Amino acid sequence: MLRLSSELYIFLFEEGDGLKNRIEEIRNARGIRQEEFARLMGVSRQTISSLENGRYNPSILLAHRIAAFFGLTIEEVFIFEEE
Amino acid sequence: MYYNNWRLALSIFWAVLGAVLIVLTQTELLDSSMYSGMGGALVAVGALQIARNLKYRKDPAYREKIDIELQDERSRYLRQKSWAWTGYVVVLVEGVGAIAAALLGNRTVQLALSYSVWLIIFVYWVSYLVLSRKY
Repeated sequence: MLRLSSELYIFLFEEGDGLKNRIEEIRNARGIRQEEFARLMGVSRQTISSLENGRYNPSILLAHRIAAFFGLTIEEVFIFEEE
Repeated sequence: MYYNNWRLALSIFWAVLGAVLIVLTQTELLDSSMYSGMGGALVAVGALQIARNLKYRKDPAYREKIDIELQDERSRYLRQKSWAWTGYVVVLVEGVGAIAAALLGNRTVQLALSYSVWLIIFVYWVSYLVLSRKY
């Protein structure tokens, strides 16, 4: 029950975990549309939108794929801000 | 490839099974209207899946859309999260229901709900054990 209530708390009240990214900035600078970028990454457009808005954190595989596509390191695309 | 020959065969099986149920109820070999409804549902689901399967094979854009939808990690995450929340809600509702049944003196319902809660917790425990060995 304790575990259940803590899950509920996280679901309702916890916010992002400090992982920001520059996907939108880099994508716009290179003139790639969201739909096209999603297709190239093999994910849905909603996933790219959620990533750019910081609502969803990618798996390490997707993060690697995105960074490799831009020709950058993961650290250059994804910025972890420790609280 | 999601819509393969196996899934096509399964869809045909459901549609045929549904048709057989409808025929059996219409010829009064089965006397329940429940089977007729079930048959109709099976025919509908089978036909829909067959149509999707054929479209998937013929239309490359649709195939790409379906493949991305199924492999998309956020969609998978959302499906897993939704199932997890469904489980939480079911346990909570059944737990509250069992207590309510006990207070109302309905021992049969109380026992059924209690056993159901224990079954879900047992399945969770076994799943956790199996997954912790795998990962």
